[in-house]
Amino acid sequence: MSSAPPLLFDRRLRRLRLDRAAPGFAGADFLFRRAAEDAAERLSAILREFPLAVDLSARHGAFARALATSPAAARVGALIEADLSEKMLQLSGRSNPEIVHRNIDAANPLRLVLDEERLPFAEASLDLVVSLLSLHWINDLVGALVQVRRSLKPDGLFVGAFLGGATLTELRQSLIAAEAEVRGGAGLRVSPFADGIDAAGLLQRAGFAIPVADIDRVTVRYANPLKLMADLRAMGETNALVDRARTPLTRPVLARAFEIYAERFGLPDGRIPATFEIVTVTGWAPHESQQKPLKPGSAKMRLADALGTVEHPLIPE
Amino acid sequence: MTTAVTAEVDPRLLEVLVCPVTHGPLEYDRVRNELVSQSARLAYPIRDGAPVMLPEEARSLDAPEAPAVAQPDFPE
Repeated sequence: MSSAPPLLFDRRLRRLRLDRAAPGFAGADFLFRRAAEDAAERLSAILREFPLAVDLSARHGAFARALATSPAAARVGALIEADLSEKMLQLSGRSNPEIVHRNIDAANPLRLVLDEERLPFAEASLDLVVSLLSLHWINDLVGALVQVRRSLKPDGLFVGAFLGGATLTELRQSLIAAEAEVRGGAGLRVSPFADGIDAAGLLQRAGFAIPVADIDRVTVRYANPLKLMADLRAMGETNALVDRARTPLTRPVLARAFEIYAERFGLPDGRIPATFEIVTVTGWAPHESQQKPLKPGSAKMRLADALGTVEHPLIPE
Repeated sequence: MTTAVTAEVDPRLLEVLVCPVTHGPLEYDRVRNELVSQSARLAYPIRDGAPVMLPEEARSLDAPEAPAVAQPDFPE
């Protein structure tokens, strides 16, 4: 008997969704581009060399392009572009051929297909790992982060972006309300997302040092909910839950959900908002040079001296 | 299209890749264009110069259809 925890996500279906989304991905990549630019910006503030970097979710090469135009490009030696979807990976570097960069050598690309749940990297072999908007589909997130940490050299950096808990809150609420109303019960239509506040804690549990998380909330306006659904499909972000509701949404449920969406969240101009929350985290593979708290009582200097004041003991002698 | 003469895998990739199932070492089989994991008894295909490191896409080394001997063009 296996004692493995139940699987939340169907990885094979996830791969299929991405494969299917590949041809139209460039038309709905605004979130992905934003996450890629955030990650590149994060890197440009870190004055360190990264001889070998891996992008675990290369998709159509958004991070490579964001990196190419950032000051961090000079500090990244080589970038391996990896993806769960072979079809996505084939687009990488081709969708924007005018950008020529030493990291994106079209004749000799560093590319591979992998599953983030089973990383194929040797221990302590990488200097930088990037993962964008992909971790929210992983069954064992801490386990995957542990694998990332192990693949990093000591003092190697992980930059990850995932969708936070407020993502698609309007759609989620409308669907649940509509299905409950029409059917008297609701199935899982929208994935659970990790909470932004948990992000740094997750990294810490996976053994990363100095974890930092930032939340970027984006509100996108759509003409109607159908346009939002079309975008989600184009991103490859449609339901890949193992326990997903198997009955398709019927027209009455969907129609009611769209009514509720417009009633509860509609904007004065008739459009509807959709919230996306991008949580960007950074963490370092532990190394002795990193800052850490000293042992209590190990101070070599009196605090009073550092502050230039006189120490007043609590208990007079 | 570049006339891809079965694009070779970049040595920088070979240096860092291990079997995703066992984390054991991989052998690069240039003839079959595969990365072979003896420890998992799997051969990962390389397509368009990109190794496909997914067990579900790999060829089992123990599968009967594998022509283990019949390769006259490549003597020892």
